[in-house]
Amino acid sequence: MRRPRGWRPLRHVRLQQVLAVAAIATAVALPVVLLSVGGGVSSHELADLENAGYQIVVSAAGEHGISGAHGLSDRIQAVGSVAAASPVLSVPIDAFPGGGATPVLAEGVVPAPFVATLGPAESSLFPSPLPLGDPTDRTHFDNGTYAGPATDDVLISSPLADADHIAVGASLLLSPGANQSLGTEYRVTGTFGVAPAALGPTGAFAVVLPLSNLQVMTGYALSPSGALIDAADTVEVALVHSAEVQPSTLSHVSSEIQSMVPFYGVSSLSQQAQQLQAASGVLTGFYLALSSVGLVVGLLFLALVLVRRVESGRRAIGIRRALGLPGRWIAGDILASGTALAVVGSVVGVAGGYLIVAALAAWGSSAVQEAARLAVFVPSTLAALVAGVVALSLAASAAAVRVALRVDITEALR
Amino acid sequence: MSNGASPTIQLAGVERTYGRPDADRVLALRGIDLAIPPGEYVSVEGPSGCGKTTLLNLLGLLDAPTRGDVRWDGQSVGSRPDRERARLRLEGVGFIFQRFYLLPTLTALENVELPMRALRVPRPERTRRANELLSEVGLGGRTRAYPHQLSGGEEQRVAVARALANRPGLLLADEPTGELDSANATAVLDLLDRVRADRDATLVLVTHNPEVARRARRHLTMLDGRIASDRREE
Repeated sequence: MRRPRGWRPLRHVRLQQVLAVAAIATAVALPVVLLSVGGGVSSHELADLENAGYQIVVSAAGEHGISGAHGLSDRIQAVGSVAAASPVLSVPIDAFPGGGATPVLAEGVVPAPFVATLGPAESSLFPSPLPLGDPTDRTHFDNGTYAGPATDDVLISSPLADADHIAVGASLLLSPGANQSLGTEYRVTGTFGVAPAALGPTGAFAVVLPLSNLQVMTGYALSPSGALIDAADTVEVALVHSAEVQPSTLSHVSSEIQSMVPFYGVSSLSQQAQQLQAASGVLTGFYLALSSVGLVVGLLFLALVLVRRVESGRRAIGIRRALGLPGRWIAGDILASGTALAVVGSVVGVAGGYLIVAALAAWGSSAVQEAARLAVFVPSTLAALVAGVVALSLAASAAAVRVALRVDITEALR
Repeated sequence: MSNGASPTIQLAGVERTYGRPDADRVLALRGIDLAIPPGEYVSVEGPSGCGKTTLLNLLGLLDAPTRGDVRWDGQSVGSRPDRERARLRLEGVGFIFQRFYLLPTLTALENVELPMRALRVPRPERTRRANELLSEVGLGGRTRAYPHQLSGGEEQRVAVARALANRPGLLLADEPTGELDSANATAVLDLLDRVRADRDATLVLVTHNPEVARRARRHLTMLDGRIASDRREE
């Protein structure tokens, strides 16, 4: 059988097409992964803010920067429209369930306002009422002397209870560091769940105990000279239900708290949401800028492939032009080829990005898995990405069109 | 000036040089004065490099003269912009090349349809006409064949059908039998004679072969870029 004359060049052209599609697909997959995972994480954090049981956060610069937390919470609680003010102190400590130390994140809270500032999703994770003894944490605090009797009750997270086989009712030694002799025996009075989509491992191994207990254990109650520290990281403020959605009330309460503590930061969650959205926008821009490097490489490759095809197809172009076919036909063919390659490359890239995210969700490290599981594929974003790549492919094809329209007919037919 | 009507072609003081003005220049044609009335059958002979193909390219508006003018029916066309010359070629000129120059990715039928597509002839009409032309050149049964599936003679007959697609008044053939065996060469030349006569088209045929040239009624012989002799048979 006679071998087709055009077979070898055709295989060559196919290889070039496959490489061009692969280059564009790779360039598209990167922003698909970054935008979907980044957008998903941002959306998740926004949802967390929107679902929180508090609306205002008082914070201070530095580690555990709020002092006089019990007293400040009382003063905030007295502001009109405030339902609860919950001071929270978070400190990494060690637990000694058997012999070895297990690093855990300890949260010191005042039980009653803590429960009042939990959102609906969080509430379902904690036992009700919170079994931490004195709901106001005033007995042990004893007006800043910490001379009252401590409850020494602790709640532990379910993963910690499962991992170290700690049962409710058991005693658990907690220490501010690896030195077991500095520890205090606590009684495990309950467990709490961990939200399945929580980012990172920090929420997995955790304990919740009365604020005053944690302050004393970690040295954030009194200074060595006996001066009151009563430290916390934040005070979370919940408004009465009718005031929650009133921006004017929110603003008024924020201003009032700010006037109490002019050197602390007072921000509403809606402000935080706006800041998060702004940060998310900046990140999206950064992702796109990062991806544009890949896109430029992919489109340059496309341009080179198309120019190469024009060079190797000079005779065919010369024949068409000799027959009198208009230049716009030849340009249209090249633009159509470029667009087709860009569309196929983009679609393969989107599918590839989806598969990469799925693979990360299945086989990535735990934090990567969690982030990948939050990924959101927004059809309009993906469509805009594909449209952008196709539009840029037209620009990339222009170089090949220019070469094609400059083909000298008589030379091409020689 | 096109679509069936053969133009009167005039070349006046035509020169064609290649290369940059400041470099070694090649003078391919020098001082050509020529008039070809409608319907004439002209052969162009001469040794390699004497300017035959350059002359054909200028007659068919594939190339523009460096100096002088090419006129169709008295209108200067040789130095018109590329787009206009392309349109004139599409409507008025049929080319037949030595190496056939069919597009390898198109079938015989699609190759013949191609010039009609560019003229926006409706699909049913152009398919009908392409089928008729392929039947006329004896390839009615090979319309779906790709060029690599055809013999050299068949490819050249498809090229003739393509050249006739838009009913041009001017047919230009550059060594049309150069790559064919004698039987196929005779068949293609007979075909060209017939279609020229049927359509009363002008045919300018470039050849090395005196036997081929003998079929024409007017014989141009070129030498060193000039027309050395111009002889008409009575």
